[in-house]
Order: sequence, then structure tokens, then C-alpha cells
Amino acid sequence: MRATASLACGLLVLLTWSPAFAHHAFAVEFDATKCSDITGTLTKVSYENPHAYVFVNGKNPAGETVELTFQLSSTSNLKRGGATYAALNGSVNKEVTVRGCLSRNGTDNRYAASFIKLADGTIQRVGQDVEGIFGTKLWR
Amino acid sequence: MRIYVVLIVAALCVLPVATGAQEKPFVQARGSVVPVPLPPGGPPPRMSDGHVDLSGVWFPGPTGKANAWSVVPEQRAKEDPIPFQPWAEAKYKSFTRVDLELGSANVNCSPVGTPGMFTDNAYVHQIDTKPGQLIHLIENNNRWRVIHTDGRPHKKPEDLEPLFNGDETAHWEGDTLVIDSISIDERTWIRDGWFHSDQLHVIERLRRPSLNYLEYQFTIEDPKVLTKPWTSTWMTLSLGHEDLTENFCTRNENVEQLQKLAEQQKAAGKK
Repeated sequence: MRATASLACGLLVLLTWSPAFAHHAFAVEFDATKCSDITGTLTKVSYENPHAYVFVNGKNPAGETVELTFQLSSTSNLKRGGATYAALNGSVNKEVTVRGCLSRNGTDNRYAASFIKLADGTIQRVGQDVEGIFGTKLWR
Repeated sequence: MRIYVVLIVAALCVLPVATGAQEKPFVQARGSVVPVPLPPGGPPPRMSDGHVDLSGVWFPGPTGKANAWSVVPEQRAKEDPIPFQPWAEAKYKSFTRVDLELGSANVNCSPVGTPGMFTDNAYVHQIDTKPGQLIHLIENNNRWRVIHTDGRPHKKPEDLEPLFNGDETAHWEGDTLVIDSISIDERTWIRDGWFHSDQLHVIERLRRPSLNYLEYQFTIEDPKVLTKPWTSTWMTLSLGHEDLTENFCTRNENVEQLQKLAEQQKAAGKK
């Protein structure tokens, strides 16, 4: 009930303004039907634009331990959302869990990440909602 | 005034939700926010010449802060259809999703131009105005423009050259600043694949109805592409209290990845 009220009120807000649309649509490049929670060791953070990246030694769909690449949002969105450079780097060489969706073009081990659970247990949103979990699938 | 009533009612609706959250599952973590709009905040400030001062750090949307993690779907306000000429309509509709991504300035890191700096930009603006001049800083890829607001004419035709932001001049119509741009580089898009000709004429309007809100509207005239001029709805931006942050586009992997996907889709005969 509360969720429904929230959504209705939010829609009321948004229907009164015309936003500049998202940076671009991750759902074109990444497959919303091939998403999973992936746990492994965070090895590196590239805090750059147009997208930051994190690299995780984790298991690919075949069960092999490999280096997985996760595309995040921009540094502007990350730092304003709480996923600062320091917050992400604090988990390097530690275990993290990432919600990731595989690349559509078959590039090995390349994902878009929407959330990351850091080593201290905090959860940060780090990318677009490719799966449309909130109904926020970012495509016109 | 009606928009403020709607925004305030909507904010009141949100409060019980925001305060009632208990344990959150993985996908409803910090950073996923329901937008809470700012109040109007009082009348807009004015400059020494009496015109409205548009200065401020402006976030797209009504919250005065970043909305990238909003849990509410993005909605585009209802607007008239784009009055494309038939050949242009056919070209526009032929674009695949991958084509649109590859052509997006936000993917290939090219200049967004005018009016793309508003229509294709989810990030923050800083505007500084003084009598006779507007300085516009755009966080996305560290862009900027400086516009005379004294109503001076455009450059002479023989002095014009294609520019991403165009040859720009501005004047006041009451409390609305009207920015007039011509000679805009054909590589820019109006938004989302809406291409244009060398005859593009963009008329932008900026107004500050209250302290906390800036509103933006644009008109497109393009006799080589459109059958008649087209005017957008008013876009809302709101006053933030953060500095712009550096945002240079340097590590661009998406073009190569999307080109690979385009080749695969072409081979498979998919649109």
C-alpha cells in the first residue's frame, strides 16, 4: 500500500516537469535478462567518465574464476549518490557483491552494475536500473 | 502557481514512505530516492538593471539535487509531434536503438550543442548573469558558453561559421531571457536522433518564476527538415547548493562495444 502511494505521488511530481533524459540507455548495450549477484574480490577501481569501472575476480557463468569488468555510472552520479572514490577504494582486495547484467554483444565478462555491496556491508547504487526493478528502465 | 501546489502535495504524500522504511533489500539501497520537490522559495532576485538574476547552480528536475537514482520512472511531458518532412520522418524512424546510442553525444563524447546542453544532459548547470551577459557552465564534459544579453545582432553572414553552440545572442522579453542561435554544426542533435540542417534556428527561453526554480523552453525552426516550427514544453530545473564537479569524458569504451553489437545485429538482420 505504502509502495503504491509512493509511486503514485512520485508520478504526480514527475508528470509536472519534463526532465533531461538519462545520460544514455545501458539497456541497449547490456542484457536485462542476464543479470545476477556476483561475489568476488574487488581488484581495481577506475573512477573516470563517461563511466567508472570496477574489476572483480569472480566466477563467470561457466564457473571459472576470472577478472570481471563492471561498468558503473558517471563519477558525477556516483559521488552524489554516495559511491565516492574513497568508498569504493576502501573495498579493494576485499570481498564485494555486485548486481550485474551481461553485455549483449558477447564480450567476455563485461557487465553493467546497478548495485554493489562493499566489504563493510554498505550497499551503494552505482548504475542504471537495467532490469527495470523500479520501473525505471531508461529507454524512451 | 499550480505546479507548486502539486509539488507540495506530492511531497507530503512521500513523507510517510520516506520515514517508514525499515530493512531494505539489496535492490532498495541507499541512493534510490523518491523525489521531494523544493518549495518556491520566494521571489527571484534581480540584477542592478532590474532584470531577473538567473544565477545559480541548477539541477534538472524539482529537487535541487541529483535525481539519477530516483525510483520513479522518467516521464517526458506530452508535446506536439515533431513536424518532420516525409524524408526526414523516414530517416528518423530508420534509426535502431544502437544507432541512437552510437550517435548520442553522451556516448561518443562529442559536443551536445544547442539545445542539447539542456535536452541531452541529465547533469548540473551553473549560470552566472550580470547586466548584459550570461555565463553558462555545464558540468557534463566541462562545457561552457558566454552570451551577450543586450540584444545585439548576429554576426554578418560572411562572418558566420558552423559552431556546436552556434552564433548566439540574447535579449529580454519582460522577465524571460530569449537566446537566439544560428549557424549550428550539423553534427549535433536536437535530442534523441532528431537531426537538423545548416538552416537550424534555435530560440531558447529561460525564466526564473521564483527563487528556487528555473524554467527552460526551446523553439526549433528548420525549413530543410521540418514543415513548421516546433516548441517544447517548459522544462523545470531547481536551485542546488553544491559546486559543479569535474566531468571530463576520457575513458570511452561504449562506442567500440556498441559498434560490435551493431555489426552482430546487422549480420542477424535485426533492427
